[in-house]
Amino acid sequence: MKSQYAMIIDSSKCIDCKACLAACKQVNDLPEDHWRNWIKYSEQDPQSAETHLVHFQPGGCMQCNTPTCVEACPTRATYKDERDGTVKIDYGLCIGCGSCIPACPYGARYRNPITRKVDKCDFCDFWRNNFGLEPACVSTCPTKARIFGDIHDPKTRAYQVLRENSDRVVRLSNPQTETKPNMFYLKNTAPKDWPKPARTPDPIKAMLCCLTPGLQGILGASILGALVMWGKQIFTRSEEEQDDRESE
Amino acid sequence: MNNSNKISRRRFLALAGSGLASAGIGGHLGNLKARAEDTLPTSDNSTQEPGNKDKLESRFSFCNICPNKCGLIARVQNNRVVRLDPNPEHSKSRGMICARGNAGIQQLYDPDRLKYPLLRKGKRGEGKWQRLSWEEALDLAAKKFRDIADKYTRCGWWFTWGADAQAHFVHRFANVFGSYHIANHESLCFWTRNRGFLDVFGEGPPYPDVLNSKYIIMIGANRFESLITPDSIDLMTAIQQGSKLVVLDPRRTKTAARAHEWFPVKPGTDMAFILALMQVIIKERLYDPEVIHKETTGFNDLEKHVRSYTPEWAARETGIPARDIRRIAREMAKAAPAAMVYPGRRSSTYTNSTEIWRSFAILNGLLGNFDRPGGLLARQDLSLHEAKSYLAPWYEDNPKERADAHKAPLMFEDGAMQTMRDAVINEDPYPVKGLFAYHTNPMQAMPNREKTRRMLENMEFVISVDIKMSDTAWMSDLVLPAPSALERRDPASVKQAGSAGACVYTRDPVVPPLFDSKSVFEILQGLAKRLDLGKFFDFGLEEYREEQLKGMPEVKKALREKGVYNHNGSLYGLYKDKPLRTSSGKIELSSARYKDKGLDPIPVYERPQEVPQNSFRLVVGRNACYTNSNTQNNWLLLQFVPNNPLWINPGAAKKLGIRDGDQIKVSSSVSHVLTVAKVTQDIREDTVCMWSGFGNISDGLTLVGHKGGSVAELLEDHIDTLNGNAALHETFVTVKQA
Amino acid sequence: MNNKILRHNTSDIILHWFNALCWFLLLITGLGVLGNHQINPLGKWFPAMMESLCGGAECLLTVHEIIGLVWISAFLLYLLLNFRASMNFLREIFTIHPRRDLVWLLKKPLQLTIGNKAMRRLGLNTELPPQGFYNVGQKAFAQPAVILGLIIAVTGIIMFLSDKVLAEEQTVLVIWSIGIHYVAVGLVTAGLAIHIFMAAINIEERPAFYSMFSGYVPVEHVKYHNPLWYEEIIQEEQSLPDSGTSRTQEATGVQEQSTADKI
Repeated sequence: MKSQYAMIIDSSKCIDCKACLAACKQVNDLPEDHWRNWIKYSEQDPQSAETHLVHFQPGGCMQCNTPTCVEACPTRATYKDERDGTVKIDYGLCIGCGSCIPACPYGARYRNPITRKVDKCDFCDFWRNNFGLEPACVSTCPTKARIFGDIHDPKTRAYQVLRENSDRVVRLSNPQTETKPNMFYLKNTAPKDWPKPARTPDPIKAMLCCLTPGLQGILGASILGALVMWGKQIFTRSEEEQDDRESE
Repeated sequence: MNNSNKISRRRFLALAGSGLASAGIGGHLGNLKARAEDTLPTSDNSTQEPGNKDKLESRFSFCNICPNKCGLIARVQNNRVVRLDPNPEHSKSRGMICARGNAGIQQLYDPDRLKYPLLRKGKRGEGKWQRLSWEEALDLAAKKFRDIADKYTRCGWWFTWGADAQAHFVHRFANVFGSYHIANHESLCFWTRNRGFLDVFGEGPPYPDVLNSKYIIMIGANRFESLITPDSIDLMTAIQQGSKLVVLDPRRTKTAARAHEWFPVKPGTDMAFILALMQVIIKERLYDPEVIHKETTGFNDLEKHVRSYTPEWAARETGIPARDIRRIAREMAKAAPAAMVYPGRRSSTYTNSTEIWRSFAILNGLLGNFDRPGGLLARQDLSLHEAKSYLAPWYEDNPKERADAHKAPLMFEDGAMQTMRDAVINEDPYPVKGLFAYHTNPMQAMPNREKTRRMLENMEFVISVDIKMSDTAWMSDLVLPAPSALERRDPASVKQAGSAGACVYTRDPVVPPLFDSKSVFEILQGLAKRLDLGKFFDFGLEEYREEQLKGMPEVKKALREKGVYNHNGSLYGLYKDKPLRTSSGKIELSSARYKDKGLDPIPVYERPQEVPQNSFRLVVGRNACYTNSNTQNNWLLLQFVPNNPLWINPGAAKKLGIRDGDQIKVSSSVSHVLTVAKVTQDIREDTVCMWSGFGNISDGLTLVGHKGGSVAELLEDHIDTLNGNAALHETFVTVKQA
Repeated sequence: MNNKILRHNTSDIILHWFNALCWFLLLITGLGVLGNHQINPLGKWFPAMMESLCGGAECLLTVHEIIGLVWISAFLLYLLLNFRASMNFLREIFTIHPRRDLVWLLKKPLQLTIGNKAMRRLGLNTELPPQGFYNVGQKAFAQPAVILGLIIAVTGIIMFLSDKVLAEEQTVLVIWSIGIHYVAVGLVTAGLAIHIFMAAINIEERPAFYSMFSGYVPVEHVKYHNPLWYEEIIQEEQSLPDSGTSRTQEATGVQEQSTADKI
């Protein structure tokens, strides 16, 4: 991969002011009641908590390295873009079937009721690529809890922060589904056990595991049969000729 | 921004080629584009959807949703604002804008925006309007100004405004027109804080150096939700760097939940806590005697005064354990002078709020933190030239004093909203019959809405200059549409805050004014011309600003290139070897001036009223996602705060048979509202809380409608006895199933 | 009697080739759109190639949808305009005679693979039970082709409507449509492999292949391959006032023959 853009979040700084949700919704024209990002809330154990009783954890699509959502998409309308490491949606190809939605352990995807296609965070791809602007959630954050950058480029702050904190960084995942997310939480974040196992819808699962090899087999047998029949025709003289010969 | 909202080539071809009778498909084309909050009804304005790659321009401005005035950069495409980003250069806002700042675009393109002048047709509050041209509107307004001035003197008019960069032009107009009446929203908010600190330090408001403070006691203030820049940001930084935060609040706000210690203090008893802290610090000699000697006066009186205010006594009053009070006093004194009682902002709580806040100020004085790192900072020496200065005319027939003069011993000269309201209703001492309101909404901002209604009924002519049909505009005679701050040019203003120091900011239009709106400056100019006062307004704003910034090329350059001028002046030691502006020249731990007036020289504790059986004390609070009635009808912010349920403790709710989400009736001695219950552990059993701004009567706010209950409707009309500021936490309510 | 019989009229021919063309285009664009290479039976290279041919995946999908809609529309139109012929066709292909047809189905493939000589060596009679207009092998393809084709059309329309009118709760229909569409296409394609061989490559069927262009088959071919149809034609011609007119294939029913089938 050429670049890998990632988000590094110090969730201990988050005050749940919702600026990131507002900014994202604003610049990406999201429909009512649907969000590309979220803030998860957890109560800390007063005995063990350092300073605070509650913890706020911002999140969004993790632009995973082995994304289960991409696996679940039959057309590859969603795909991992090799150029910047984000998981993108080709809106021309997406028909909004929604197979990818339960396939995401983080619930990062939703179906836009107006466009009827699936949508999710793309690290403000439009704003970055056309106008060189940061993701809106990063710019707006009052406590600057989010650091964004290419973690393959040693010159970026993101790379450096990640390296400095490599022994403490937390990546959220479900034990049944490791997708190698590109969202890194510094220090202790909570909650940690909320990602769900990826759930690919049954028809897609069937296609992935069994239907494709099955159909390949059937088609192969069919073609083989046709070839055998054709072979017989080519390499043996016509039936009538044989019959004639035998009857002579 | 993705392109999913545009009609894709595939979609178009597919629809064109489908050929089959699919009327449903055609009907759904509308869904691809329409979002009511984004489209504008007139053809004057671009309905260009964002998401295209046309040239993007970046223009500086400042947010106007709340008093913070955070610097922003507006991204504009084809004369339409498509994105708002923070201005990273702005030291006060530390390069951020919050959810409300982002929602400035929704305010700009609110489908319910006022578009042209409106004149009331039916009864007041009926909602029947006729459209006027600006000529007609200003002619009529000028006539009314004259008529009321002729009948009742120039003081028959009252001018009131909100926190806005053009508001001082309303003040100018009031002055040259000749009215003393300029009571405004500040007397519903922080007068008591300003008074308390002013009388101790000789200046107010105080500027807390949160960033460098090692020990912060926050009483009632809720900086992680009631955002004030830079304090909210600096508080998080300070905590991460090891500073300690102690919060006193009857609610478990986000600030309380993120503090090192939170005490659900009994509402109204804060002074007891402060007095006890002082008792411990003095008794155990934890203060710096040199600082006390050099910089303060009245220490001996203070020492005597607090002797009996022991932690044990305070524990009985506040519910905070005595040993904690003692410990906090010691910890605080140890961290001093980089320790503070945070001054907060809204101090419109109790009838003795001035004294409560004065006790905060005195403790800060005792800690020796004034004009020092981590303490309270002095006002910086950054001022602009007074542009287009004038001498206001003298009007012979004017009364001697304001209508609400002397209603409280320590009022500020502007006059106070609630006392003015009484004067208007009672026509006592003389009638006040005209109201000019700009960027303010008394119907939702003042307690006891029925009284505000009566006040407006009592007026002969009410003019509202606003961007939307607020409840006050709804009750007005003449409604004049103003542009949002993003469409305006403003004079330069100075603002100082916390650890960031002072800055200069201004505005130039990011997009041209929409519809037929006019800034209040233009309106006042038009009125002035018609009232033979034209010479006081015969200038343009650019000219005005030039004069303000005369001889300040570095300020002009910074404004042009960075969108803001950060003073970066020295924060500390501004009073080194200089006397304070108090009568003694020092920090007044005991006030001789109060004594002369027959008031307590040092605050005396007053126990708050007991909450009656089966009742609750109603408190108001703030939320990071909306700003009172200013953001009502904001599509984006309504996603976060769509309603204002009543916070009620589970124990209390259970006794009343109320479950979370139930419809309830909340009643006070003046009125009742219907709303919804939010049962939560985060509030004391004897207290309930509602956000303000909901329960609008206006039919002109279609996105929010009449949702929720109006806190203004419920609150009783209490004021601070010393100063006249609103006291919004003195109302008791009952709650039952609706 | 003429030495050629009219087997397919012009509309039959057009419809058949239209169908074939659509199927071909739909198949390659469909496989081109199926970009998930873990699902695509041809792997990664085919969708990539198709995408670059069209100028993007969106283009491919658009083409697929348009052709699909045109394909469906054409058949619906034909059904409307020529209801009787459509019904006759459906009746013909769905009418089977289990005993006779089963024997044919067992013997014919053997004949085509191991050949008559080998069959005789195995002790099997190489005579095949007589067939009508369509032999049961053709019916065995036509039936699923029609049923699965219908399923493909319906699921295709559901997928087409997915981002145009369907709500979130209905996406389960879309997901199932994807799976069913995929299986149905796969099965028909497998059958197509045989059909194309049998119809176009198989030497024995060459005259029938040509009839799909000219419309006519030689009489001798009909007598041998479709004797029951031939009987009907004879009977019809005899019942007509003037003879020598060309026949359409509007057979009204296939009569039981007395020729015994020997196994």
